[in-house]
Amino acid sequence: MSQREHIEKALKTIERSDLNAFITVDYEGARRQAVEADAGKLDGRLAGVPIAIKDAISTKGLRTTCASKMLEHYVPPYDAFVIQRLRAEGAILIGKTNMDEFSMGASTETSFFGPCKNPWDINRVPGGSSGGSAASVAAYEADLALGSDTGGSIRCPASFCGVVGLKPTYGRVSRSGLISYGNSLEQIGPIARTVKECATLFEVIAGHDPADSTSLNLPVTSCEQSISDDITGLKIGVPLDFFGEGVDAAVENATRKAIDILVDLGAEAVEISMPSLRYALPAYYIQAMSEASSNLARYCGIIYGHRVKKDQDWHQTFSKNRASGFGKEVKRRVLLGTYALSAGYYDKYYLKALKARTLIRADFKRAFQKHDALIAPTMPHVAFKIGEKIEDPLSLYKEDINTVPVNLANIPALSIPCGKKGKLPIGLQIIGDQLDEARLFNIAWQFEHNTKFNKYAE
Amino acid sequence: MIIRTDVEHIARLACIELDDEDLQEFTIQLNTILEYFEELEDVEAKLLQQEEDNVLRTDEITPSLSQQEALSNAPRVDGGYFRGPRII
Repeated sequence: MSQREHIEKALKTIERSDLNAFITVDYEGARRQAVEADAGKLDGRLAGVPIAIKDAISTKGLRTTCASKMLEHYVPPYDAFVIQRLRAEGAILIGKTNMDEFSMGASTETSFFGPCKNPWDINRVPGGSSGGSAASVAAYEADLALGSDTGGSIRCPASFCGVVGLKPTYGRVSRSGLISYGNSLEQIGPIARTVKECATLFEVIAGHDPADSTSLNLPVTSCEQSISDDITGLKIGVPLDFFGEGVDAAVENATRKAIDILVDLGAEAVEISMPSLRYALPAYYIQAMSEASSNLARYCGIIYGHRVKKDQDWHQTFSKNRASGFGKEVKRRVLLGTYALSAGYYDKYYLKALKARTLIRADFKRAFQKHDALIAPTMPHVAFKIGEKIEDPLSLYKEDINTVPVNLANIPALSIPCGKKGKLPIGLQIIGDQLDEARLFNIAWQFEHNTKFNKYAE
Repeated sequence: MIIRTDVEHIARLACIELDDEDLQEFTIQLNTILEYFEELEDVEAKLLQQEEDNVLRTDEITPSLSQQEALSNAPRVDGGYFRGPRII
């Protein structure tokens, strides 16, 4: 198949799709690049590969909305670092994917452009916030995708859509050009149908960028080289704290079965306890909301963004722009973050959250002194129905119970398919120590290679 | 426990205008969430010392956005400037 045919096929799949996985499709740009690919003008490790980009990542000349009315007409004047990397490797940017507004959610229902749907069951959510990225890859609307993960936003939709997604070590991938939500927690990461493709995309986007002062100036170790290594003697820790109340029996069984399979492949598994994890969810939300209240202060509607027709004084104009430009969940988080940082409450909320984060990091550090990797369910259950949780914010927050500890500890984690409940995929979470992505890909590849859970890998 | 006037105050700090319906809904929801945050009450720990040093770079002039690019997303522009609300 020529690159043009390959791209046309993806574009046609998008056009026929009911998933609402894309906010903007770049038909013209994708077709132009496909012609260039056929003429041999695109080189690189991703030459001619159609890739979908979460709409929180800046693309020069291509509208980037963060799924918000606030940025409905925003066209970035520059490319994010990861986009420069993709272009340099010949990837074809097919479009910008649907997400929860400003990445705040676990269901891709808070998008200003309407909810995205799960390819395995159109009545269910794809997970979030990078729901469009995972759904598009699962439904062959793109071959690869980029998402961002602040508290689970890559791993949750990867789990619900039955694809592979990685949240890298904090600082491994530049955040330059990523529209900020919780900047001490978030990372851009790869989503793909197979472990190997996910590893390739990770290698392309990882690396140092002086424009992001939190980006690590350390060499990127090859993940592909060691991907098929033997895992005999691998020490796996199974933190029981990830199997608490609310974890569906089918999910627990699938996870335990997956651990047995890894043991059959030569790994050793030991159950462990990480008591500080009970603080993870409230600590995460306090910190993420506090950072959000500060990061989203820039949206005043003067330099860019939504602005009401009639100006009043400065305060009223800002307040009206923000009232009509932000959706409900964004307002809730900005209000709570403002409260948590306000005089008299800082010690009670923000400082407590920082202390809890310290304890959680110490617990993971201890675990990785004895174990090479930790294994747990990615999500407590399979994809839920659209509308089921949206009216109860706290119940949606609790979806993130097994994903947020990883962000608080700055470590990498990967989600891969490990079974199904009915027709809905279940995700297995493999958690590693800082900068140990290559090991995660190795374990995931061995699991994928020796099982039939990933239908895309067959 | 926060009450409606607290939410009004927070909204003023956050520069988000709320109507009556919003205030009623957010007062209830924010209380539920803040109550959940109380789970951190018994956390005691010493904060980690800052592990990383500040990242500094030399102050070199490099190309940046042109005036046209910088203004390209502004809702209101006047003679090469961003146009804000009137002050007087």
